[in-house]
Amino acid sequence: MTRKTRNVIAGVLGLSAALAAAGCAGGSSNGGGGGSGSGGGQVKLTIWQNSTTGPGQQFFLTAAKDYHALHPNVTINVQTIQNEDLDGKLQTALNANSAPDIFLQRGGGKMQAMVTAGQVQALNLTATDKADIGAAALAAESIDGTVYAVPMDTQPEGFYYSKDLFQQAGITSAPTTVDELEADVAKLKAINVAPIAVGAKDAWPAAHWYYNFALRECSQATMTSTAKSLKFTDPCWTKAGDDVAAFLKTDPFQKGFLTTSAQQGAGSSAGLLANHKAGMELMGNWDPGVIASLTPDQKPLPDLGWFPFPAVAGGQGDPTAIMGGADGYSVSKKAPKEAFQFLEFLATKDEQEAYAKAFDAIPVNPAAQEAVTDPYNVSTLQAFSKAAYAMQYLDTQFGQNVGNAMNTAVVALMAGQGSAANIVSATNSAVARG
Amino acid sequence: MSDTVGSDTDIQIPSPGTAGAGGARTSPPPAPAPAPATAPRRRGRGRMRLEIAVLSGPPIIVFVAFVIFPVVLAAYYGFYKWQGYGAATDWVGLNNYRLILTDPAFQQVLWHSLLILVLSLVIQGPLAIILAILLNQRIRGRSVIRVLIFVPYVISEVIVGTGWSLMLQSTGAANDLLKHIGLGALQKDWIADPKLAIWTLIAIISWKYIGFAVILMLAGLQSIPEELFEAAQIDGASYWQIQRRITLPLLGPTVRIWAFLSIIGSLQLFDLVYIIWGQYVSGTAGTSTMAIYMVAQGRSAGNYGYGSAVAVVMFLITLIVALLYQRFVLRRDLRGAITEGVS
Repeated sequence: MTRKTRNVIAGVLGLSAALAAAGCAGGSSNGGGGGSGSGGGQVKLTIWQNSTTGPGQQFFLTAAKDYHALHPNVTINVQTIQNEDLDGKLQTALNANSAPDIFLQRGGGKMQAMVTAGQVQALNLTATDKADIGAAALAAESIDGTVYAVPMDTQPEGFYYSKDLFQQAGITSAPTTVDELEADVAKLKAINVAPIAVGAKDAWPAAHWYYNFALRECSQATMTSTAKSLKFTDPCWTKAGDDVAAFLKTDPFQKGFLTTSAQQGAGSSAGLLANHKAGMELMGNWDPGVIASLTPDQKPLPDLGWFPFPAVAGGQGDPTAIMGGADGYSVSKKAPKEAFQFLEFLATKDEQEAYAKAFDAIPVNPAAQEAVTDPYNVSTLQAFSKAAYAMQYLDTQFGQNVGNAMNTAVVALMAGQGSAANIVSATNSAVARG
Repeated sequence: MSDTVGSDTDIQIPSPGTAGAGGARTSPPPAPAPAPATAPRRRGRGRMRLEIAVLSGPPIIVFVAFVIFPVVLAAYYGFYKWQGYGAATDWVGLNNYRLILTDPAFQQVLWHSLLILVLSLVIQGPLAIILAILLNQRIRGRSVIRVLIFVPYVISEVIVGTGWSLMLQSTGAANDLLKHIGLGALQKDWIADPKLAIWTLIAIISWKYIGFAVILMLAGLQSIPEELFEAAQIDGASYWQIQRRITLPLLGPTVRIWAFLSIIGSLQLFDLVYIIWGQYVSGTAGTSTMAIYMVAQGRSAGNYGYGSAVAVVMFLITLIVALLYQRFVLRRDLRGAITEGVS
């Protein structure tokens, strides 16, 4: 009797253990590297991308279908992961050995961490691939000369502005120096709109002000060497913080900017621009798409223009340099070779044109760049091709922990607490933690 | 993962059984000699073991897998400098704890957490007692008022947070209302102004959680025997004397339990602050809490080792406060001396 009872207990407990284990594994079983032993057999690939809305998501679904038509043995399962959820989920999946075959790569310190942990594949690009993508864009996705992700678009940063509001305020040409920008701030205040919108609640949009001032104040060599040493000793880092503080004195941002989010709803910074409540916003080139989704009729803003971050007097950085990242895709460790082949397919001219259209973005493929027609994208592309160099967004460049500390410290500065020196010290102490 | 769960099961098989058997042995008076009819008795015990295993086994497994195991993991990772990619290899001993305790930002959030704790007790407690005493009388619309007070507690933190943050923005409804009733001079940046933000938070917390306190106090009031009030009235006690000498002392156990729940809740406050202020602005607005610090340093900054150490510190602080409270405040309640306060 007792033994029987024990067996029953063991059985019941075993069953629940199995259920619990199944529960643990259930969410990630669809990743798992698919058919790693592919020799012309059926291959199933999983891709994680972050476009939750119509055209962007549709681009990947169509590309997957088109690729399947060309290679009937390859089936691609497109999974959409919300942008802010993506990093955490991806990290868990990578550590649990159940990563998707292909996933959105943020680059910089995060990519470095994945490479160190041996979680992504080094990509052997052919000469055709290199011609398709272009050297500048590839540089952003390489570590020590090895490519770890295939970039899809470039995301140069600058000011998106309302041409109508600028005209009303009597601004005839885009500002090229910070002094001119400050003068334009005053003119926009006079017509009773917020001169510049910023979503400081999310921290990074505010921190981008610091990045751009740093881009103008610090030389390219300093920026690259700091990315390696993570020691912010060069005085240009403090100078950039002082610039932010000085600019803040002109009261250029919308009321309550500290509690404004960047991309959610009409009250967000992108929403203020979309509804003509603010004159301009400093943002990466995904902004037109975000703004379009927040206009009253959910159509692109007809009077949207673009100009690059103005020059800073006496800065060490090149005044044409551009802050900007790239959206690229990496291949996880266990993925079959078809995963990389699909990425090569996405870099071809036709796919890149479709990508540019779907995301309202600037494709990396020079042949596809001819398809860019929106005036703001044309200006961006012109500035980008003239740029002496492009820098990855600093929070990506310096890795998540340093980037996060930097962003937090910039918000504190904008809230009137702390100083430029605090940004430097907070960044230095973040290195100790992770 | 399945390995771990499997080994957990091995550990667990005896534990519910023995615990159950122990409970069974102690609750009836211990029998000096076993009853002669052993067979039915054994069957009864086996059956009970089976029931205990079937009923408590799965929850225990889930609890171990999703609560105990992560706690152990957090303690483990707290000794590493680890960004969450690959395995944790960079052992730093107690360095994370040293960094936490010397970080001015942590001292700041600890101070915020304590302030929230004290203000919650001081504001909600007396208010809830007064409301409960009022609502314990037969007044018109009593049930409607009770529902109105309790409704905020039922609404999820996300909705409460989003709603209040929209209304209290500098361009929000609260300031609009002030302007329209001619009090435009009182318009404030209720959320971002560091002088106001903590009070905004306290106001929202009070509004949200007072319903829970009132319901508890009402239940406490209703457990006070009616005769005591009648006897006091016959003895000629005034209304205030009755409240002071009978109601408040007899409400003591309820107040102490409520305060306990409120303290634990305050120490772990996260969602309201995160939704209204976000992890970045809460620091400058003076509303960040220990849990916000944990998420900001851990998940957001990707310092998983450091964040785990913060989680352990938070756990220890809460545990110590809870144990001290039980030891010194709840002791007499736990003895069951409900009428002690009257004597």
